[in-house]
Formats: sequence, structure tokens, C-alpha cells
Amino acid sequence: MILEHFNQTLELIPGKAVLLADRTLVVGDLHLGKATAFQAKGLAIPEGDSSADLNRLGTICEQVRASRIVINGDLFHSPAGLSTEIERLLETWISTIGLPVELVLGNHDQKLARLPSWLTAVTSVEHAGVHLVHDPADAPDDVPVVAAHWHPVAKIADGKRTSLRLPCFLLRRNVLVLPSFGSFTGGAIVDREEGDRMFVAPGDRVIEVPVKLLR
Amino acid sequence: MPANPLQPFFKQRGWRPFPFQKETWKAYAGGKSGLLHAPTGQGKTLAVWLGPVAEALKERPDGCSVVWLTPLRALAQDTLRSLREPLEVLAPQLQVEARTGDTTSAVRARLRKRLPFGLVTTPESLSLMLTHDDTREKLAGLRAVIVDEWHELLGTKRGVQTELCLARLRAWFPELRVWGLSATLGNLDEARDVLLGSAAPGAVTVSADLKKEIRIDTLIPKEIDRFPWSGHLGTRLAPQVVRELEKANSTLLFTNTRSQTELWFQELLSLRPDWQEVIAMHHGSLDRAEREKVEQGLREGRLRCVVCTSSLDLGVDFSPVDQVLQVGSPKGIARLLQRAGRSGHQPGKVSRVLGVPTHAMELVEFAAARDAALARHIEARRPLLKPLDVLVQHLVTCAIGEPFQPDAMRQEIQLTHAYRDLTDTEWEWSLGFISSGGRALAAYPRYQKARLENGRFTVDDKRLIQQHRMSIGTISADAHVSVRFASGQTLGTVEEGFISRLKPGNLLIFAGRKLELVRFHQRIATVRPAKRDAKGNVAIWGGAKMPLSTELAHATAARLRGEGPPSAEMKAVAPILEIQRRWSAVPDDRILLVEHTRSRNDEHLFVYPLAGRLVHEGLGALMAYRLRLNQGVAITQNDYGFCLTARRGLHLSEQIIRLNLSPDNLLEDVIACMNTAELARRQFHQVARVAGLILQQLPGRQQRGQRELQASSRLLFEVLERYDPDNLLLLQSQREILEKQLEYSRLRESLLDLQQRPIRLIETDHLTPMAFPLWAEQFFATMPGGGDAASQFEQMLQELQTAAAS
Repeated sequence: MILEHFNQTLELIPGKAVLLADRTLVVGDLHLGKATAFQAKGLAIPEGDSSADLNRLGTICEQVRASRIVINGDLFHSPAGLSTEIERLLETWISTIGLPVELVLGNHDQKLARLPSWLTAVTSVEHAGVHLVHDPADAPDDVPVVAAHWHPVAKIADGKRTSLRLPCFLLRRNVLVLPSFGSFTGGAIVDREEGDRMFVAPGDRVIEVPVKLLR
Repeated sequence: MPANPLQPFFKQRGWRPFPFQKETWKAYAGGKSGLLHAPTGQGKTLAVWLGPVAEALKERPDGCSVVWLTPLRALAQDTLRSLREPLEVLAPQLQVEARTGDTTSAVRARLRKRLPFGLVTTPESLSLMLTHDDTREKLAGLRAVIVDEWHELLGTKRGVQTELCLARLRAWFPELRVWGLSATLGNLDEARDVLLGSAAPGAVTVSADLKKEIRIDTLIPKEIDRFPWSGHLGTRLAPQVVRELEKANSTLLFTNTRSQTELWFQELLSLRPDWQEVIAMHHGSLDRAEREKVEQGLREGRLRCVVCTSSLDLGVDFSPVDQVLQVGSPKGIARLLQRAGRSGHQPGKVSRVLGVPTHAMELVEFAAARDAALARHIEARRPLLKPLDVLVQHLVTCAIGEPFQPDAMRQEIQLTHAYRDLTDTEWEWSLGFISSGGRALAAYPRYQKARLENGRFTVDDKRLIQQHRMSIGTISADAHVSVRFASGQTLGTVEEGFISRLKPGNLLIFAGRKLELVRFHQRIATVRPAKRDAKGNVAIWGGAKMPLSTELAHATAARLRGEGPPSAEMKAVAPILEIQRRWSAVPDDRILLVEHTRSRNDEHLFVYPLAGRLVHEGLGALMAYRLRLNQGVAITQNDYGFCLTARRGLHLSEQIIRLNLSPDNLLEDVIACMNTAELARRQFHQVARVAGLILQQLPGRQQRGQRELQASSRLLFEVLERYDPDNLLLLQSQREILEKQLEYSRLRESLLDLQQRPIRLIETDHLTPMAFPLWAEQFFATMPGGGDAASQFEQMLQELQTAAAS
């Protein structure tokens, strides 16, 4: 779905990513190693997401012929989750993908004592006229922004019998908030504000949710 | 004779021991374990307590001799009092103390040093004790474990936890005697076998049949409505109830749900505002201090009436009340008897309960409940089998306390009733779960809880031990939200699901007040009193609706067939049944009555198996699914039957109806039609908590380091499904949901039974009295949506477009 946003073109991809006009692919909140972090604390949650999520991201890059990847924050979940296996996994993935990968630091990433040395990390970045920053609270209000961090979820109900809870893109004024990309991440139902628009992709296309169906 | 040393106590009281007490003392002295079946009242406490006391008088034991398990920690103080009474006369040197979640840290510290002769505790606290390495030593003198109100634990996960703890204690002390106390159940022998496991040859069941007389009457409404749709009479009988309250000094008014409690409390107050001080409310979600105040008021005789739910079903020596009223059908016979027992508590007195119907068919149910109670046809309580979440929790508990050798532990576990059929696969999975995470080893690289060391499983990480101890108390407790004012005053707790449906500004009735939700944050719902003129929908917080028990359903069917002695209830309801007979037929459980009728736009099929609400819910969904009516069908159900409503396609032959109610392929069809995946996902929350997949924390006190370890159970379920699909906890939540939400076993039995019944298919011109409530329900019906998220959303969009176009 193509969205004209403050004179910039954003393409919302069903796989929870945004493609900018210069074919920069933006995703947020991967939370790699989250299951590992749980395991380290004695909770038996199976690992498997991290590599599956990276493969999924790779497929999207191919499909949309991306020229660059920006991870808009929270690539890693926590220090306990940044195991050598995860680090190696990511390094291999980046070398096979063959695209420049930039990391915008998220609140979770900042807790790490060190980041892998081969990873470029910035606090915010601009591509194709769009400002990319992790926390919507840090967004400037006069330029188009793509942010993440909130893990927005739309609550959709017809008021009769069906009610759904779907990860969504949230467009609020000049900021587009990405749904969280990682499959082992939760979400928070959006506290709606006047003028908010939400987009979901329960199937293979992105659809805007009519306000009437939002709860 | 064991009775001799006890003589001074009975002499002082001027009592004489009952035969059942003597029988129990003798069996205990003979080294036997058993189950004592007795109605509430002090007699049963003395029966099981004085055996060990008599022994202690002879043998002067050192340390803890008796552990007394009580299902509710709220009962611990009452229990303590009644256990101490005889000791004051017989053996002042023997101490009894309680250790539960409520125990102060000072007492707790004292108990860590030295245990008293008698220790009153809960299954959770006993389980917690097993995590301490000196427990075996400190309990070295243990002679007996007494399990109070065993019928309350039976059939629950806490009951299974009790079984496991007892197995541990028995393995330590082979001579241990275990006694259970139980109210009347349909399966007392089974209850005994579950409690004692397979290690108690020669166990006995003692019955204290005190020939208790019970009277069950019903408040007959002055004018009976023609159509008994549920809730129709509602609180309309309140003025008549007030007159009954005026006649007695003290009354317990039992209701079935908390919302009814709140409603009746309001209604009675509005009729008699002058009773403000002498009428109170008691339900499980009120704040403890509030509840204790009410209980104290009852004891002191200050209160004229307490409106309550099952929260007052239990209680050791609640001062008896003059009368008991039951609002709405009790839905089960055992429940009604137990509540009746709250009046005329003393042996020899008559227990009396007055039924208050809330719709006309409940008149029949009260008459039926009386028939069944007199004939002693009481419900059975089925024990739980193999809940693996409880097992893995217990295994970690044991490994913390003292390292265990797997084969010996398996033998110990399989002596319990719950796990006697544990398979190799299940056992190996459980060991794997606590040590390496699961069978899909590669999926859990960083996980380790229990380690195998010299052939024994052990847990020695301090943090993990602490975390596990926090999780022990969580079996069966739902996720609760604390309701309080901004000032901090707590009103009580409600289920999270209830509050999360509300938005700030919405009105709710709770704790007898009309409130407005201000904020819901971190498991605390802040409220303020609603303005007097506040308008809008009021959310009334209700407990789950219980289905009619099989036994009561049978008794009701017998009444509908016209069996049983003449009664006021049947006389009152006769005009309605007469209309039903004239227009159609009266349903019965020897035939299957089916009515087909048309309304302006729709067809309706009413089917009356008389098998209880949950079964009907399953049957309705099953039939709609098998008829391929999934789109555009409304299904409603109550305790008597279910109704399908659709534009067309319900004009069926007897043969087709029978074919669609066949038990073949039941499990597959139920899973396909009931959205069990979604239901299992919800059920998984509890399973995951007990199994230790979710960190416990105190409400409002989120530790910093734990924030990044939060994940919803829904998410965990999805992750497990994807990356460790063989995880047995997934299977278990599906099994639990089938039994709990759908009463799957009963559903299956019903279908088998329906195959034998002749079908009576009647075309009706009007909605019959039995059909009307089912038809009316459709305006409140909710149905689990079918299909995946994409198609559901698609359909909503379409509907919206259609609505916009028209």
C-alpha cells in the first residue's frame, strides 16, 4: 500500500516493514535473542525466532529489491540475550544479504555494554527525506518521521461478535509508527487520538482500518 | 481404649462422643488411614483431631506430629481456634500454630526454628515447605496429615498438588496416617482412593450419618409469568424475601454469581434503607478485611442478613444462622445441601433452605433438588488426571528441597491417583522440561533449571529457587486486578478480563457501590464513586454461570415427566407446562424433543437434550458445523436445550437430526467448530504460570530487571506452537479447555445417550414456553468467530460496506 506522507512516498509492506522512495527498507523492534534471555533466567521458552525472523527479513528485501536496510531500534532484546550464537547468526546473515545495514539505536540496544563491532549504529538517520528514529517521543514535528518502539496493535471489533487484535502501522500527524517486526514480541493496543489512522495486514495486503471498526 | 484420655474434655462440656467419633479414633489408633464423611459442624473436627491427641497423651511426642491441611487460608484462624479448644483441657502443653500466606513474618521465623505439635497450613504452604532442605528432619516425628474439606480440593489442581505432597511425605514416613474430611459426594470411595493413593491398604471410610433432617421449600411467586424466560422474575420476589427476612434473626441469602449478589444487596437495601447497618455482602472478591468484618458480624449476631456467594459455603464453626435462602437454582444437589447445612448447624436440628426462583422453570428445579436430596442422589466430583504443569512444578520443588533420583521419584509419583498411568513419554518429557527445556533440545541453548548430578536432579541457583518459591502459590488463582480508590483504599479484586473490557469513564457496580473507572494500570483499577445522576451502561461484574449438574438434570426430567409427590412448586408451574404440552410436548430425558418453527424472516430449531448449558453449547456448535451452517447461524443455549436460528436450512427430518448428533468424529468436529485453538490459547495462561513459564510478581511492584522478561501467555503459546510443537503443555491446555469449557466427557456421554432416545419432532406455530427463553437469548448471544483473522476482518469490512450502501 502506497502512502503519501508529507510529500514523501512510503510503501507499507504486509510483512511489517516500510519501503522508502530510495528503496530503503525500514523495520523496527526485532528483539533478537529474547527467548535466549528468558532461558537464561530459567524460563523454558524455545529459541527459533531469531533466525526465522532474519530469514523473513531477507525474503522481504529480495521481494521489494531493497537497496538498504535500516533497523529502527531494538535489534537486540537484552544483554542476556546477546549470546555468541546470536551474534554469529546476525553476522552471517548480514554478509549473505549483501546490503548495507544501519542500526538506529533503541532503548533496548542502549542497555547493551557493547554492540558487535561490525555494526553501524546511530541515534537517528535520514533517508529519502524521511527522518528515522526509534522512539516517537524523539520525533521532530516538522518532517515526515518513521518510528517504532510502541509495538502498536489495533483492536478491531464489529460490536457484534467478532473482535480481533492485530499488529498495525499507526499514522499520527507526521509520524508513522511501525508494528514490531520480531515474532516473539508483544504489542500494546493503541490509545487512540483524534486523526489517527491505522493499517493492518491480516493477509497478504495492507488495508486501512475504517474508524468504525476500531475500538 | 482411646476414648479414655479424652474423657475430661467431654465431661467438661457435658457432651458424649458420637459413634462416628469413636469409630474414627479407633481406626486411627489401629494405624489406619481413611476418609470421614460428615456434615459441617464441630463433631467431625474432634473425630479426626482427638485420635492423634489421644496418642500424644500417651507417648509425649517431640516436634510436629500432625499437619492439618485446609483448602482456604481464610479458614486457618477458625481451624486453629477449634483445634486449640480441646487441648486447653486435655493437654495445655501441646501447641498448634498456623502457617499460611497470611502468617506474619514473626510467627513464620519462629516456625522456621521449631514446629509445633499441630501445624495448620494450606497445600501451597506445604509445597513451599518441601523446598527447604531441613523439612524432612523437622517433620521427623510426623504421625498424621489431616486434609480438611477434601471435597473442595478434589478435582482441582490444588487437589493434585496435595496428592503429590502427600506422596512425598509418605515416601519419607511410611507409617504416616492420612485422614480426609469430606462433605457428601456421589463418589466417596473414589474420593478416599484419590486422597490416599495406592499405598494405603485397609483404609476405611467412616460415615457420620447424623440423620440430619433437611427441609427444602420454595418461595412461590404470587402470579406466575406465562413465559419463563431466564431472569424474568429477576429480583421481583424481593418484597416477599424481605418479609422472610423479617421473620428470622439471621439469614444467609446465597446467590450463584457475584453479580447477583451485588444486585440483590442493592435491591434489599432499596426496599429497606433502614437495614443499612444490619445487612452485608460477602463474596470471594471483596477485600479480606471487609470479609472478616462481615464474618465477625455474623458471629456476634449483629447482622440480620448477609448476601453471599459460595465464599460462605465453607467455614469451620460459623455461628449457625436461623435460615438459609437460595436465590436461583442451586444447579447442583450437593451445593444445596451444603448451603442448607448452614442453618440448624447443631446435630439434631433441622436444616432448612428456602428457594427463591428467578424464573419459572426454577420452580421445577427446586422440587427436583428436593427429590434428589431426599434420595441422596448427589453429584460426584471427578478427580483430575495427569496435569503435567503441576507435575513439573512439583518436580522442581522436590529438586530444590533435596536432590532426587529419577527412578525412585517416578515410583513415588505413580503411587498417586493422578499420575498412576504416567507414560514413559510423559515422564521423560517432564524431566526434560525441568532440566533442558524440552525434547527439542536445540531450541533451548541457554536454559537450565534442574541439573543432573551423580544421578540426581538438583536445583542450586539461588535466584531460580527464589523465583520458583514465588510461583508455588499460583495454582488456580486467576489473574486478578485490585480495585481501589485513589486514596488507596482497596475494595477487592476482579478478574482481569472484566476490567479490560471497560474504558475510563465507564460505570461499574462492585462491592455494592456504583463506581466509575478512572484508570487501569499495572493490575490496579482506580475507581471513584459514580455521580448520582451518572448515566450509561453499567457493567455488572458476574461470575461464570454454572451448568445444571447431571444428577439435578435427571431429577428435573423426572419431575417434568410427572413423577414425584405432589408439591407446591409443580402446582405453581402447572399452567405453563400445560401450555407447553398443548402446543408441543414437555421435554424429557427419555425422548429427544425437537421443535421447528418459523418466524417472519428465520427458521428456528429448538432441541432439548436436558444436559446442562455447557453441553448444549457444544451440541449447538457441533450441529451447526455439521449442517454447514457456519455463516449466518445464531446459536443459543440454556440448561434445557439449544436453538439454531438461520434464514433457511433447518427444516430437517428425524433421520438427519440423528445423523448430525452422532458421536462419530466428535473430537475432530469439536476442535474444528469451537475455535478450540483460540480457547486453548487463553487457557494456556494458567498452565504456563503453574509450569513456571511466566514470572510471578506482586501487583504494582514490578521489579526493574524483570521488565524485559515479560511476555503474554498468548505469545508464549504461539512461540511454543511454532518451535516446540511437541511440548506437552500445549496438549494439556487443549485437554483442559475441552473439559472445562465444554465438559467434553459429558458431551460425549450425552451424544451416546441421545442415540438411544426416540426423537419427537414437532412443528410448532408459536414459540413454546420452553422455546421462548432460548429465542430471547439470541439478542445477547455472542459467538466465537470462525476462520482466520484475515477472513474475519474481510467479512467485517464487507458488512460495513453493505450497511453503508443500504
